Amino acid sequence: MPNPVLALKAVSKSFGMTKALADMSITLFAGEVHAIVGENGAGKSTMIKIMTGVHQPSAGTLEVDGKLLTLSGTGAARAAGIAAIYQEPMVFPDLDVAENIFISSSLGWVQNKAALRAKAKGLIDRIGMTLDVDRIASGLTLAEQQAVEIARSLSQDVRVLIMDEPTASLSAHEAAQLRRVARTLAEQGVAVVYISHRLEEIFEVADRVTVIRDGQHISTKPVAEVTSDSLIADMVGREVGNYHIKAPPQTRPEVMLSVEGLGCGDIFRGISFDLHAGEVLCMAGLIGARRTDVALSLFGIRPATEGSVRFKGKTLRLVSPAQAIGLGIAYVSEDRRKFGLAMPMSIKSNVTLATLKGILSPAGILNRQREAEIAEAYRQRLNIRTPHVDLAVGMLSGGNQQKVMLAKWLDLKPELLIFDEPTRGIDVGAKAEVHDLIRAFVTAGGAALVISSDLPEVLALGDRILVMREGRQMGIMDHAEASQETVMRLATGQVAA
Amino acid sequence: MNIAPQTLRIIALVLVLALVVGFFASVIPNYFNARLFNRISSSVAIMALIATAQTLVILTRNIDLSLGSIVGFTAFATGSIVSAHPTAHPIFLVGYAMLVGAGFGVVNGLLVSYARVPSIIVTLATMAIFRSVLVEYSDAKSITAGQLPPWLVDFPNTVLFEVGGVEFRAAFVAAVGVVLAVHIALSRLRPARQLYAVGSNPEAAEMAGINSRRTVFVAFVLAGALAGLGGFMFLARFGTITVVAGLGFEFKSVAAAVVGGVNIFGGSGTALGALIGAVMIDLIDTSLVRWELVSAFWREAVLGALILTAVAVDAILMRRLVALRIRRDKDRHAQEAAK
Repeated sequence: MPNPVLALKAVSKSFGMTKALADMSITLFAGEVHAIVGENGAGKSTMIKIMTGVHQPSAGTLEVDGKLLTLSGTGAARAAGIAAIYQEPMVFPDLDVAENIFISSSLGWVQNKAALRAKAKGLIDRIGMTLDVDRIASGLTLAEQQAVEIARSLSQDVRVLIMDEPTASLSAHEAAQLRRVARTLAEQGVAVVYISHRLEEIFEVADRVTVIRDGQHISTKPVAEVTSDSLIADMVGREVGNYHIKAPPQTRPEVMLSVEGLGCGDIFRGISFDLHAGEVLCMAGLIGARRTDVALSLFGIRPATEGSVRFKGKTLRLVSPAQAIGLGIAYVSEDRRKFGLAMPMSIKSNVTLATLKGILSPAGILNRQREAEIAEAYRQRLNIRTPHVDLAVGMLSGGNQQKVMLAKWLDLKPELLIFDEPTRGIDVGAKAEVHDLIRAFVTAGGAALVISSDLPEVLALGDRILVMREGRQMGIMDHAEASQETVMRLATGQVAA
Repeated sequence: MNIAPQTLRIIALVLVLALVVGFFASVIPNYFNARLFNRISSSVAIMALIATAQTLVILTRNIDLSLGSIVGFTAFATGSIVSAHPTAHPIFLVGYAMLVGAGFGVVNGLLVSYARVPSIIVTLATMAIFRSVLVEYSDAKSITAGQLPPWLVDFPNTVLFEVGGVEFRAAFVAAVGVVLAVHIALSRLRPARQLYAVGSNPEAAEMAGINSRRTVFVAFVLAGALAGLGGFMFLARFGTITVVAGLGFEFKSVAAAVVGGVNIFGGSGTALGALIGAVMIDLIDTSLVRWELVSAFWREAVLGALILTAVAVDAILMRRLVALRIRRDKDRHAQEAAK
């Protein structure tokens, strides 16, 4: 029997009302690559954060080498030899490779540059990479930056290395390189946790695979005993519940948006679909599928480099958001904080932010009375729960913030609304309300493009469903043909488009 | 052949410095001689220290606008000590000045790193507060050179050695020595690496187990101590200390650091660069006085334009360099993949 290095025993973690992990147990052995798979939001990130000491479990225990251990913080986890690398590597762009590797090692006060470089070289060699240790980190490729991070963790005698979606942004060549690194480390006795949405690479790299779903442990099996079908079944095998919206098949003949072979550099290509008035088209896919990038192109933020877009019969070359807004296209960002709302400003100022021109008096002065009226109308229509519209948006709950953002864009009277993860991080009640609003918007003659990583939402809301994977369109299907399995198969690349 | 970008930057700065000297030599008669060096070297001694202090703070993605007030206060405080006790040992006086400066740095550091108030706000406030403390402490009186012991007044202009009319005066040599010591410490000491790390990528620093609060705190304290040393030099050089001593040094030090290639967003820059930046600004400032074409009113504007140019050129250059490198790497990868 190999030695268990790290074990979670019946760990639970709640954030307020949401239970992110429930009774999770998992054991990691020295020298194995242990893959963990699950849908977005299944609880993988929470589990990593508990293993690395970022979060403390609400219940359950954690054992290192069979001994009970409380990880009070990231420092404690590092001391226990547990490290993690992420899709976006954490490097210091201004420092060189050797300095990056030894940034937090205790090698005494005075740095001996030559010795440092030699040691850095040794570590880079150990993971089987070739990399000049004098290079400045800002010039490194993502894969090289990840190698630097791995070498850094090795310099601190890592025993458990967690790799969280390490290949999601890498090219095929780089991803293969990184998988070799994972194997090399395992052969040297490190327990490697490998989290990935690419099922095929799990068969290549992992010894065992654990499926988690809704914060619960579903199965742990040797890779030889699973197939991609059995993994997908385990990943999605949940009842579709509490989504009451039925998508009525009421596709009208009028095509509002017609996209043909859309592409943008090497980010995405070959995106083709028609979107009719009165229709909701959902874009499904896993993290890294590049759905948001397609939306940004359609909104003119990152102009497409190939393909054509026809909007209401006219060919468009979208180059700026202002142009898109002028045509009646609106984009509701997934990041409320960054791109959506001015948190310290009042609800009414946020609602009228995009339509200020409409409330100017002839002299160019803001009509505050009018502003309040407009905001008040949306408060009632969208059922925004707030005592008054003068409240700062930052004071509202996530669901209500989302409604304010919707009000802002609805006030532009758009014909095409692009929603990026419209219900992420909001509670079930508010979710249903947002769904109703989207449905009402298309029933009134608009068209909606909804990006969602929430599979049940996609199935409930979409009249048609387009599945993307790594910048490619994997398929497009009607509501009637779609199921969790068919969508997930396309999203994980198990079926050719 | 791979030259580190920092080295490249220093070389570029020295080249620009040479160009500036060349330019002024061509428009001002009798310009380039030993006296030019002597004049610049004695006025730059103080600013070099303040610019180095500022560099320590800027490296961590912060700024210290209270440095000028710290210089003023320590100059006055040290002056009043030495006028009351003329026999006080020089080393004691220097230590006293640095300690008082460090004390002000502690205030800044605590507010910035532990109370989490943005440094521009903290030091904008302490700039005014420290200055008022000086006014109160001094009772609005001045210190004059007559109150100071002769050794102190003579110290800055003592010529240590002379090469063909070029005099190396004590204050300049001492200041350059300190700057070089900081320069070497920044590139060789492990804790100094953390200074760069915190400014380069704060989240990553936290993840790598670096105590970023303590790092920022230490940067402010060291900057305060260096400013205190600057205050001592100020006292020795001018002898006369009023309540406006060191006024405006905070902005000049930021300018010197930035012209010297210190990234205002933290993470990169060197003390040697800041020194050259200080020399550059001082050189242009004093040379413009002698250039009849530029009226006194326009001097500030020319100086401002210089700062903008330096920063813009730097930004463009660095972006180009990084882009070039990425392209080169991509090509290499393509070749490897093809193999």
